[in-house]
Amino acid sequence: MPESLKNLSPAEAWQPLPAAQWDEGAARHLLQRIGWSASPAETTRALQDGPLVTLRRYFARMPELPKPALIAQLEREGPDLIRRGRGGDETQRRLAQQEARERSREAMMDLTIKWLQLAARPESAPAEKWLLFLQDVWVVGVEKVRNAALIYQHQDTLRRVALTNYPQVAKAMSRSPAMIVYLDLQQSQRDAPNENFARELFELFTLGEGHYTEADIKEAARAFTGYRQRNGEFAFVARQHDNSRKTVFGEQGAFTGDDVIDLVFRQKAAGTFLPREIAKFYLTDEPLPAAHLDALGAAWAKSGYDLGKLLAVFFTSRLFYAEEFRGNFIKSPLHYYLGLVQNLDLSVAPLPRQLIGALRQMGQMPFNPPNVRGWVGGKNWINSVTLATRRRVAEALLAPLNEENLNADERLDLDAAYAEGVTNFTLADETLAAWAALPPADRARRLVGLCLPQAAGTTLEAKIEHHFASTSGNPVNATRQALAALLTSPDYNLC
Amino acid sequence: MKNPAQLLPTTRRDFLGYGVKGVGLLAFSRFAPSFLVESAYARTPAPESGRSILVLVQLAGGNDGLNTLVPHGDPAYRRLRPTIGVPDDQLLKIDDHLALHSACAPLHRLLQDGRLAIVQNVGYPNPNRSHFRSTEIWESASDANETLSTGWLGRYFDNACAGKPADPCGVHISNELPQTFVGEQPHSTFGLAPNDRGGRGGRSLALTEQLLADGPDDPHHNAGFLRHTMMDALVTEKRFQRVLGAYRPSAEYPANPFAASLRNVAALIASGASTRVYFVSLGGFDTHANQPNQHANLLRTLAEGLAAFQRDLDAHKLNDQVLTMTFSEFGRRPSENESRGTDHGTAAPLFVLGSGLKAGLHGTAPDLGVDRNQDLTFSTDFRSVYATVLERWLLADSAKVLGERHALSGFLR
Repeated sequence: MPESLKNLSPAEAWQPLPAAQWDEGAARHLLQRIGWSASPAETTRALQDGPLVTLRRYFARMPELPKPALIAQLEREGPDLIRRGRGGDETQRRLAQQEARERSREAMMDLTIKWLQLAARPESAPAEKWLLFLQDVWVVGVEKVRNAALIYQHQDTLRRVALTNYPQVAKAMSRSPAMIVYLDLQQSQRDAPNENFARELFELFTLGEGHYTEADIKEAARAFTGYRQRNGEFAFVARQHDNSRKTVFGEQGAFTGDDVIDLVFRQKAAGTFLPREIAKFYLTDEPLPAAHLDALGAAWAKSGYDLGKLLAVFFTSRLFYAEEFRGNFIKSPLHYYLGLVQNLDLSVAPLPRQLIGALRQMGQMPFNPPNVRGWVGGKNWINSVTLATRRRVAEALLAPLNEENLNADERLDLDAAYAEGVTNFTLADETLAAWAALPPADRARRLVGLCLPQAAGTTLEAKIEHHFASTSGNPVNATRQALAALLTSPDYNLC
Repeated sequence: MKNPAQLLPTTRRDFLGYGVKGVGLLAFSRFAPSFLVESAYARTPAPESGRSILVLVQLAGGNDGLNTLVPHGDPAYRRLRPTIGVPDDQLLKIDDHLALHSACAPLHRLLQDGRLAIVQNVGYPNPNRSHFRSTEIWESASDANETLSTGWLGRYFDNACAGKPADPCGVHISNELPQTFVGEQPHSTFGLAPNDRGGRGGRSLALTEQLLADGPDDPHHNAGFLRHTMMDALVTEKRFQRVLGAYRPSAEYPANPFAASLRNVAALIASGASTRVYFVSLGGFDTHANQPNQHANLLRTLAEGLAAFQRDLDAHKLNDQVLTMTFSEFGRRPSENESRGTDHGTAAPLFVLGSGLKAGLHGTAPDLGVDRNQDLTFSTDFRSVYATVLERWLLADSAKVLGERHALSGFLR
């Protein structure tokens, strides 16, 4: 039985989990939270390695996401498209704008599929989930940025700094062209500073509400004047930069943007902000006790806000494995979908319209959070429509791929995948048939073990077995129905 | 509610009744889950009949107001719309200045019968021309320069739907939960696909019901919350499917998904569901090119669907209970573009349909004295329209929902 948070003092909470408590349940808890699933193979390996070695293996380096072909094409041809539009009359301008939008939309689909394919791989899942977390803090949305190439670049920049230290992340993000567009630094002028970025830097990226004043925002906004993007590259425009004296957090100087970020990380609130966000994204809907957060925040600040160290402390801590947090976290739509792909040992099909549509209906369209706050998560993921969509997504993975109504590009991508021998986009009929051939008790154990190993031997398993024993129809259909019921059960929606 | 303990057996029997009478939740019938018992409380003492219901119809994409309610008496109209202006023989005149597009003939009849109000030139200051953002502004009832994460009807639910009503507060006939319905508090809302006619799911859900039949009960714990929400959705879905499957409309609806959506709304209203708000969407109004035929077809779909719905409500004597209102994220630019279409604009008229309203034109017509590519300036703030509906139809405090008082429009007494 794991220990309770109630029995852990702030100092004890962040000590490493005693080796005696590292068991199969703990290993599964770790894998389910840092990634999308806990496969038997990964669980066995983690159990042998222990939590720290497991974390070091998954976070040794960030995986690479090669630039998707349509993003590269957009980068090459986008500027020319805009130039052509500028030269022409209104009709030509509108057509050029329309084409640019369409190209960006298609490039976004290409990027989304390529990222999902990378994130679904068991060895890269934890690092890609960490990246998703950082993107959920440093939000940019394609609806406003309107250029898929900048969205790719934003994620790529985060990828480069994701395992460095947090001040470095903040400095890199303040120069990200997508961020410069998204939070209006592009429009910020020396004589008319725009406060949008400065406000969110304090409120949503580094400190949290209540740890700065309106005057701090106004002054900091002046420090970030002159930050621009040109054709997707950061440009510092000196004549638009206000280099006069500013007062931020009570200190005075002719601060630059980087200076303001350095000042931010001298505030006590900077130590607790990110750990609080990590707990909310990975661990629990209930806020952690302030004293516990303070203890972690102080230690993390002392490390120079080192992100690798923070990950190691957080995910090996006694607090992380406390009993309150086991199996009581609602999976996000991406977690749910990628978990299905991993549990069923499938590949992400190159069919963006179907997939992105389903993710949008579940409430989490990749690269497009609802607003600068990011996804709220928790119970907010769940309503009658999102639940029905989760069911539809699970059922679609249990039946042969629907290849009707594909457009020419999708047909091409799918055929290319088939030519490379990748065909496991949905559960193979032979796999289902092999399970269906098992006697009811073995079949029930096999299916429950596949999706909910912790429920083996429970009433859940008995109910599935009873279902098989009492169903007279085709056993393959009964097996498919049982899997669908398991994969849409409350237990499977939790991790 | 004076003595809830006494009510318990009745409501429990009531619940068990569904299981036996064909909703088919046999797996639940041994348990009568706590939340259902609570909802049964909320349903006592009296059914909700007689309460006012709002049906909100979204015209997604930005409806061209000037070709819907045509200012034919204004010479500027023909100047702005030389090729796509609605010809005189396709106009149904309201007065010397204004006419409806002939595709709106059924709405014109409703206007003459005193059942249709048209609020003219509705918009908001500093208009945004992004579909996404302007839809968000209309749905959240925010200013153009503020972002709210809740919707105006969600905040109405916050104020009016306390406790656990037996039926969802809001039902949307669309795949996505409209932001309009999102409140500060979670509310029971339900979504139906437009063409739903009952019979979905069936056997494959039997095992799901059995898996849900027992388990954690505490709705504050996530496992209990998921279980309750899933059971709730399943029960609602089954009840609704049965209502939709059994419904015999008293009017003939056109064969299209929009009319089918309205038919489903009529079915749920006629079943006596306590739901106060329905949301239906009709898309395709983003007519940048070759507008005239497309737009006429859209208006015909809208007008014929609404008229069938109204006839159906009349026949069921529910017309006094239902108010239907359209909205669109923006109107379109007064001057046509080079592709025989129109680009994103600002203000536009909206329709309000029902029995207890003051029919005819409300507000003032837009000033067409604009330069090429200039936009209309709104004369009625959309939040005045919302405030009117909240105060005079839903009998709610509009200042609580909208954050401030707005002048009321005259279409409701």
